[in-house]
Amino acid sequence: MEPQIFHIFRNTPLGRETLLQSVYFSQKIKASPLVYIPKFTKFLMYFDNDVVQIDLDESYLSSPATAEEHAVELLKQGEIEPVFFDPKNFTASTLPDVPTDFDFMCCPRSISDLSSKIGLGYIGPRVRRIVRSAHFPVLITSSVFKPWHSIGVFFGGSSNAVNALKLGFRMSRESGFPLDVFTQAERRKKEAYEEIIKKEGLEDDMKKYVRKWYIFDTGKFDENLYNVPHNALVIMGAFGHGLVKDIFFGSKMEKIQSVVPNNMLIVGPKYRALS
Amino acid sequence: MSKLIRWRYPARWTFFRMDDRLLLMIIGAIVGVCSGLAALALYWSLETLLEFFHHYRHYWWAFVLPAVGAALSSLFLNKIMNEGAGHGVPEVIYSVSRYGGLLRARSSFSRLISSCLTIGFGGSAGPEAPVVMSGSAIGSNIARFFSLNDRQRITLVGCGAAGAISSIFNAPIAGLVFTVEVILGEWTALNIVPVAIASVAGCEVSQLIRGNHVAFAHQQFDIGIMDIFACIALAGFTAAASILLTRALRSMHTVSSKVKIPLWARAAVGGCAVGAIGIFLPDSMGEGYHAIQSMVENGYTPGLKIAAFYVLAKILTTSLTLGWGGSGGVFAPCLVIGSFTGLAFHRAISFIWPGVAWVNEGCFALLGMAGLISGILQAPLTGIFLIVEISGGYAVILPLILVSAVSTTLCHYVEPASFYLKDLVEKGQLLRPGTDARVLSDLKINELLETDCIAVRPDMLLRDFIEILTRSSRNYFPVEDEKTGRFLGMIHLNDIRPYLFNQGMHDAVFLEQIMDTRIKRVHPNYNLNDVLQIMDTDGLFSMPVVSNKRFLGMISKATLLDQYRRELMVQTSHQ
Repeated sequence: MEPQIFHIFRNTPLGRETLLQSVYFSQKIKASPLVYIPKFTKFLMYFDNDVVQIDLDESYLSSPATAEEHAVELLKQGEIEPVFFDPKNFTASTLPDVPTDFDFMCCPRSISDLSSKIGLGYIGPRVRRIVRSAHFPVLITSSVFKPWHSIGVFFGGSSNAVNALKLGFRMSRESGFPLDVFTQAERRKKEAYEEIIKKEGLEDDMKKYVRKWYIFDTGKFDENLYNVPHNALVIMGAFGHGLVKDIFFGSKMEKIQSVVPNNMLIVGPKYRALS
Repeated sequence: MSKLIRWRYPARWTFFRMDDRLLLMIIGAIVGVCSGLAALALYWSLETLLEFFHHYRHYWWAFVLPAVGAALSSLFLNKIMNEGAGHGVPEVIYSVSRYGGLLRARSSFSRLISSCLTIGFGGSAGPEAPVVMSGSAIGSNIARFFSLNDRQRITLVGCGAAGAISSIFNAPIAGLVFTVEVILGEWTALNIVPVAIASVAGCEVSQLIRGNHVAFAHQQFDIGIMDIFACIALAGFTAAASILLTRALRSMHTVSSKVKIPLWARAAVGGCAVGAIGIFLPDSMGEGYHAIQSMVENGYTPGLKIAAFYVLAKILTTSLTLGWGGSGGVFAPCLVIGSFTGLAFHRAISFIWPGVAWVNEGCFALLGMAGLISGILQAPLTGIFLIVEISGGYAVILPLILVSAVSTTLCHYVEPASFYLKDLVEKGQLLRPGTDARVLSDLKINELLETDCIAVRPDMLLRDFIEILTRSSRNYFPVEDEKTGRFLGMIHLNDIRPYLFNQGMHDAVFLEQIMDTRIKRVHPNYNLNDVLQIMDTDGLFSMPVVSNKRFLGMISKATLLDQYRRELMVQTSHQ
């Protein structure tokens, strides 16, 4: 069954760019987008063990008369059948429930704040909460539509990073694009990372899909990030591990999202990896 | 560090993995204490606010106080807390029935503050629904913190509600019964014990801080046979008042939603009207416990007409407060309306039959309360046990049972769903465990897809298709475009039957000539209720599932029934 990507449409030029990213993503991995044109600024997402209230920026409700028309136009342009999500369940009369059984979700860096806040280094609190609770990866798009032609996975050896790597294999397989792996070696040698790969049974996939594995022994992490191709879809795990895994987004993740302007596919701690 | 992490996940400890009852009892007690404290916090805040504004009630401008309170309450809920409106209890029931009791953390305090503003300034509403909401949200979020599963979380939501009700009324059995009867909707051995413990914990907290205060203790009721007959008639009046209140609340809400002004202004309009009524009928404002106290203690002096008028006035002020955007619940107003109904009824029968030695009017006020609560919530046990506990004994148990049972039954005839459940039932969102709607809602089309269909091309000859047919056990064959993979139509065994024994046609007929291109199809996002409705309407047994113009599989009634049975077994296995 084809994967589904959930997209909240904002009828503004920024929203157009974001939908174009979703359309491109869907084309590449043969996914079908499900587009939600909100009628209220609030909605709830009920995850397995969390309920997240999303308070959308008012711009999501702008020009409702043309919103569907614009979305249909963009989807048809990408030869994708327009399918819209119409909420059936409401926690309160102005508070619809949005299901969470998607394979991907696409959103800009922030959905609750004014779009003027969106920039490198800022990922809004609601988007972070979705990443933390969702079992699907979240596609955080660049401000302007940019097609990606390769895939870059950040692999630091954690369980989240292993999930990100598995997702990278899947994306490479579905899209046919080459996969690069980036590792900032920290007090560990290459063998240690290879051991993790071996333990997870990913050796064959590494050989099959990975074009190049960059292991940075020297240099600062943010300087090494220059090696990430400008047209790569960056995949990485967010939130660390241990007692504080629910609280901090992860230092490496914060650094990457502050420096790299690429489209990012972020895997949270609840993501159920499909290889 | 790993030991610390393990503390976050007690449900995974070997000891609790075998049987989680002890775990739920321990956490349930914690939830009960927390929700009890939340209830007391609201109680104190309300006392303070009511005391503070009491000195200003005689000023001519005092009628704007409820408007200010309701407007502030609305602004707080909608602008600061960003909460959708609602009475609270239906939201808890909805969450329990659909989402395993998941509630937002902000709900654990937002309704406390907003209802305090509404009631404290004089709006006619009760603090019980907000404390139930708050206690339930506390239970839900504690369960979330410990990563408990849905069943355990629902039990803790119930613990929160029970702790809150038992704390505010100092009535542990009423807390337990209300939770099981109204919130959870099912009596199982697994949830009753933790909920009972939480209820006791909430009550203990209340007794520790406020003292063992029984609201209407030391009342002597000498009930005779005539009183018992009179109770049946009283139940009719309480049922009528319940229905009137339910309908007034809903119609006020409908009317107010048509007024295109900001929510806070709408709440202020309702508050202003309440304030204006309150100038002439002050007991129709606020939570109204002082009026109840004097009625139960036989100290309420105004006559029959005033008491009867208060029934209507309280219904009106409650509808204006809650229907126009104020925050609070209907529990306390029900008690007030019930006690006025009982009082008016007692005075009426005493007037008509002065020779009969009726029991005192305080008893009828208590019975009226039980009738109203049982009628509007359609929860007779809650009404019975609440009155038993707040009156400190079983002296009125027989008439209580009568009034509650008759009132509930009469209300059920006119309004099949209780006030809390009416909206949910109308929208098909009440999904109690083990019911048809709940089982269907838990199944997804993706889980039922039959993907072993053989796809065929439109330019295939009938002869080639017959060969495929001999290898397949299915009756349906999707026709797909070879290049694009687009779903074009369906071939059913019946479609080829006329040509099957006509050898001459085997090399003359192409599948595109006989395929059904107008076959009803469904999308994976459809809910199963809709799918079943389409199947029933069109007399179909299976349908193709198509997304983005691609055939994904078939969905059939046979597979659905099979999965339905399994899901039903899962949902009812713990009972």
